[in-house]
Amino acid sequence: MATEADGEEETAGKLSGTQNLAVDDDLREMAKKAAWSVSSCKPGNGVPSLRDDNLETYWQSDGAQPHLVNIQFQKKVKLQLLGIYVDYKLDESYTPSKISIRAGDGFHNMKEIKTVELVNPIGWVHVPLSGSDPRDAFIHTFMLQIAVLSNHLNGRDTHIRQIKIYGPRPNPVPNQPFHFTSKEFITYSTISARSATPAS
Amino acid sequence: METLMVDRVRSSLSQFMHRNAIFLCERLCAEFPSELNLQLMATCYLRNNQPYFAYHILKGKQMALSRYLFALSCFQMNLLREAETALCPANEPNSEIPNGASGHHLLGLVYRYTGRRKLAKDHFMQALVIDPLFWAAYEELCALGDAEDANECFNDAVSVRIHLHSSFDSSSQGFDGASEDHNLPLKQDSSPRQSKQLHSINNIPSYPQSSNCVPSNLSLYNTPSPPVTQLSGTVPPPVYRNAYLPAIGGDGPSKPNPHATIQAPRRKFMDEGKLRKVSGRLFSGSDFGTRRSTRLSGDAMTSASLHVSQTGANVRKSSALDAPWFQASNAPSLLLDGGNTEQEKGFPQSSGALSHESGVNGAKELLFLLRILGEGYRLSCLYRCQDALEVYLKLPQHHYNTGWVLSQVGKLYFELVEYFEADRIFDLTRRVSPCMLEGMDAYSTVLYHLKEDMKLSYLAQELISIDRLSPQAWCAMGNCYSLQRDHEMALKNFQRAIQLDSRFAYAHTLCGHEHVALEDYDNGIRCFHNALRVNERHYNSWYGLGVVFLRQEKFEFAAHNFREAYNINARSSIIMSYLGMALHSLKRDDEALVLIDMAIVADKKNPLPMYEKANVLVSLERYEDALKVLKQLIEFSPRESSVYALMGRIYKMLNRPDMAMFYFGTALDLRPPATDVAVIKSAIEKLNLPDELEDSL
Repeated sequence: MATEADGEEETAGKLSGTQNLAVDDDLREMAKKAAWSVSSCKPGNGVPSLRDDNLETYWQSDGAQPHLVNIQFQKKVKLQLLGIYVDYKLDESYTPSKISIRAGDGFHNMKEIKTVELVNPIGWVHVPLSGSDPRDAFIHTFMLQIAVLSNHLNGRDTHIRQIKIYGPRPNPVPNQPFHFTSKEFITYSTISARSATPAS
Repeated sequence: METLMVDRVRSSLSQFMHRNAIFLCERLCAEFPSELNLQLMATCYLRNNQPYFAYHILKGKQMALSRYLFALSCFQMNLLREAETALCPANEPNSEIPNGASGHHLLGLVYRYTGRRKLAKDHFMQALVIDPLFWAAYEELCALGDAEDANECFNDAVSVRIHLHSSFDSSSQGFDGASEDHNLPLKQDSSPRQSKQLHSINNIPSYPQSSNCVPSNLSLYNTPSPPVTQLSGTVPPPVYRNAYLPAIGGDGPSKPNPHATIQAPRRKFMDEGKLRKVSGRLFSGSDFGTRRSTRLSGDAMTSASLHVSQTGANVRKSSALDAPWFQASNAPSLLLDGGNTEQEKGFPQSSGALSHESGVNGAKELLFLLRILGEGYRLSCLYRCQDALEVYLKLPQHHYNTGWVLSQVGKLYFELVEYFEADRIFDLTRRVSPCMLEGMDAYSTVLYHLKEDMKLSYLAQELISIDRLSPQAWCAMGNCYSLQRDHEMALKNFQRAIQLDSRFAYAHTLCGHEHVALEDYDNGIRCFHNALRVNERHYNSWYGLGVVFLRQEKFEFAAHNFREAYNINARSSIIMSYLGMALHSLKRDDEALVLIDMAIVADKKNPLPMYEKANVLVSLERYEDALKVLKQLIEFSPRESSVYALMGRIYKMLNRPDMAMFYFGTALDLRPPATDVAVIKSAIEKLNLPDELEDSL
């Protein structure tokens, strides 16, 4: 349905969507471990619509800006990638245009780690959570907050159709300092247990 | 009329005409209500896969065979307690187990599945004593880990205890007149008849005695089909070898059964053997699904050994496998005081002597085969895989190339982590025996490890098309999904396998592993415990539990579970490495090193223990030794990023940033996953700090 919006400016921070959610194999979805909440919602268009893998349903906010999606984990987790599905053609003025991503230990000490601007996005928007430093491939946090600061065409409320959050896979062999990459190591690392694919 | 009906019912059963059999049997029971007829009815329902009906009919009946059939129905319906009470009533601790070897086997299974290993072992051993060719009992003993050497169990000496328990009673009936004609071949006739008669003491006792000493023509008619079908040369599926030795023409021992069974032990040793029943063996396989093939192959051998020389029906030249029939052929005549019809006279003596000779030969060959197979199976259950492989190679070629043997060999290679060989062997198995399902779950895991997703999905599809209701097919399917990292679907498939056969331990284990992959540790633990409940020696589950606890950092538990796994399978270098890891986490590094060294020796191709050793040495601050080990490892596995990363770390600790840098760089070149990249890069950064400090000075 959606195609990459060609000719759109793709400066750092300005994103359009892509049709497919392309995620590396060594990442896995973390959402199941989290408690999700939103600042406000219209009845029938609440949190479940954000997580139901159905791009037809969406979350619609119902209050003042900024609209917030809060993702809270029980322990500190490493997060690497955020995927947000929005659709300008369907949602027009409900489409978010400026999103701020914050992380912290709780509501009291959230700190902004990233801001992205969306320009007529259609499809999945990949937001890497790393800092500019390659050392910070992940953020290590208890809570993530996605704040919709403004919408296209100055809309008040916003629609987001799906959100996915990714972090690294744990080492299949527990208690090891490093992951195993070669085939021999991986073959011998478990007995018929599920193990990671080797990097070719 | 009754004998006519009985005959018809039996013949319908043997021809697989269940509906006909059930209908006629119901008429039979209505017209001539008796416990014998009820037993026949129960058999009809059991054959028709309606154990609940048989349960209902035979509830409370006390005759030996009734109790056996009732217990069987209970077992199939998973009512183990009732099965136990039927076979071994609580208030009569010394009563005879009905049905001899088969009864003991069934009781053994009940004890096994209710967790009483010692009792189970006793009964399986007893079954073997009564019938030394009872492979299924030996198999169960191996699975319990308690089997004695096959050379002992199946040695030639036991051949004296082998008798034909055939359902040849019927054939003997038919022999009435004609028996006189044949000499040599017929000697066996008398035997089966005698055995049958003895059996009938055990079995459904002869039908109304009046019809017993039946005029020959009727007995010819009444040749029960089961033996007839056997006579026709096809080996009928064991199920059809009728337990119901027709008492028709059951000349002779129209003795009430209960007495017979109780009297049996008091008879001579050899008579005891005769009281065994084929039927028991027929119903013996508990895992009706997975062991069917074994049962069939096992029974096929024995049925082949059953000679049938017969009169009216087809003549089947006895093969060399003349079981030592009734050496005690004399004895039967003693038993059959009243019952002996004219046919028997004169036969026993001569036949006895002659049959004994040829009988023993046949038994010896069969025992020879069973010795090899038994020893191989026993060793493979003890996970002495190399030894088992050598034993199997002693089989003659035509036996080696059969489904059961090949799948066992395949499983052995799987256990030895030689996946390519295993793949080759399993592939051969599938070509030799395309419908063989046992062992295909292991094959699917082999393909999973080899990452052959095409082959794996093809295998899964094929297995499902062969038998949608087999747990192995769904295990293969689950492995398919798991290979594609779709753990939830994989889990669903494994759960389906469990639903199909809750006694299939591997399905439970695989479920557990999937839960662990989904990081659902509680459910994982639960699944592993389920697997262990089914089969305490499933070392894979112990290992799985250990891994879970390792992740949860409950190192004591982890060590305990790995040790249990190690006790069962002391050859697996992987288990040894993990046990070493757990001990290392518990800071018991000396013990850890011992185990790790053992692991290195056990399997030279396994790089993991060496890596672990390096880890341990690092924590013991024996850096130089650790580096030595890692350098060896590089020769072995040059493209393993973690090795270089660890070396980099060691050099950093040895304060040689140049070497550290080199190794970190190499590690990064090998493209480890992102987490490691981050770790390594930050380590590199920290490396440079001392230089910067110097610069700023």
